[in-house]
Amino acid sequence: MGLRDADGTDELSLAEVEALGQEGTSEGGLLGFGGPTFLTTKVDFVVNWARRNSLWPMPFGTACCAIEMMASAASNFDLARFGMERMSFSPRQADVLICAGRVPYKLAPVLRRIWDQMMQPKWCVSMGACASSGGVFDVYSMVQGIDTIIPVDVYVPGCPPRPEGLIYGLMMIQEKIRGESLAQHYSLRAEDPSTVGRPRANDEEVAALSGQFGNSTQQDHLSSLAQTQRPERSKDLLP
Amino acid sequence: MMDESGSAFDAVEQGPETSEGGTTTPRAPAGDPSGHPSVAALQTRFGSAILHHEVQSGDQHVLFVDATRNREVLEWLRDDPEQRYDLLVDVTAVDYGDGKPLQVVYQLWSIGHKRALRLKCELPLDGLSIDSVVGLWETANWLEREVYDLFGIEFKDHPDLRRILMPQNYAEGHPLRKDFPLRGRFSRAEQTRRALSQDYHDDYTPEALEVGGAPGLAPPEPEHAADETEDTP
Repeated sequence: MGLRDADGTDELSLAEVEALGQEGTSEGGLLGFGGPTFLTTKVDFVVNWARRNSLWPMPFGTACCAIEMMASAASNFDLARFGMERMSFSPRQADVLICAGRVPYKLAPVLRRIWDQMMQPKWCVSMGACASSGGVFDVYSMVQGIDTIIPVDVYVPGCPPRPEGLIYGLMMIQEKIRGESLAQHYSLRAEDPSTVGRPRANDEEVAALSGQFGNSTQQDHLSSLAQTQRPERSKDLLP
Repeated sequence: MMDESGSAFDAVEQGPETSEGGTTTPRAPAGDPSGHPSVAALQTRFGSAILHHEVQSGDQHVLFVDATRNREVLEWLRDDPEQRYDLLVDVTAVDYGDGKPLQVVYQLWSIGHKRALRLKCELPLDGLSIDSVVGLWETANWLEREVYDLFGIEFKDHPDLRRILMPQNYAEGHPLRKDFPLRGRFSRAEQTRRALSQDYHDDYTPEALEVGGAPGLAPPEPEHAADETEDTP
């Protein structure tokens, strides 16, 4: 939105606009930072209508879920009906990241980088059990849910989900966009690089919730130390 | 697993177990050497270096070879005109657990003679080191890197012994060993942190990175064809 100063030349930064709105009338003023007004709700409606009907997915397909994702895009199910006219294979032209399949730790920085390369506003669908929680791959090499790497909006369960499931998840994204407001821009789009990519619960909380054999977020001390023999490491060339 | 009285750290206090305790890897009864022309030839030529011979799955002949002479035996198998095992199909390893020695497995195929042969070398856990065969077959380069990555077996004289499947900053050990816990040694939070701090440059040698090259580093264009066209009549 190009909001302009009184003389109509200088473009205001969003923070200045916010300050302007707060120092305006007590009822929020025309800009509505104290609450919705006729202008902001109508602008929100138009912007959200445009956004939710032109979502371009960035496919991040790593396993069998990607086959279902391709089926969703093909003519029988036809994602284009929902405005996802084409799969955008460049993250810079995509709005919604569909992570379909298991993600090993070696791929984690790639996924993170692709997410960082997508421009705001952006959303993320975690498709299938493996992307959402690690699934059956509760092993040394596998990311236990991509929400430890990037923020996720919708989780689609299934192994793999049918195309109807993915379409339902994408329609949930559309519903989520319908409820957004430009006034909440900062809270909706906030991404603190120092906290994103870490599990929200701290170690003590996770340990308290862990069962005897650990859970998928963190192993307890038994699962990591119960071995029949001590590893022989004298000759190892560890990095 | 732990017993009731001890703590989880007892295994650490006891120190490493080695294969000295008389534990051996499972072996089938000795096979009939006449079933495969290379077996008898190897036994007569190398004698004591051929420790055991067995037949698996009907026609797969397996030879256990002294681990210190693996390169010598394999070089002869590749170069002898009667053998000509010119294709190294696979290099892999087997861990039977319980302190048993690790087996390095060489799967060979002779294209000319249409014969397969499998060689195994046993390495005790306190001496995981064997001669590399990259000098004999180039394909052993990445295969031996994989074995090193997942089993921790050091291949002497390997030109580029680095991890190949696991991240370069992986510090939890070698995952396919039987003593490796299923979920790794670190907490999931620490594993995620390390994964995100990977540098993809570590996966490539400087030479490999130069192939991609920054645009500014492209070699200069050769001196122009215009000079040559002047010379041509």
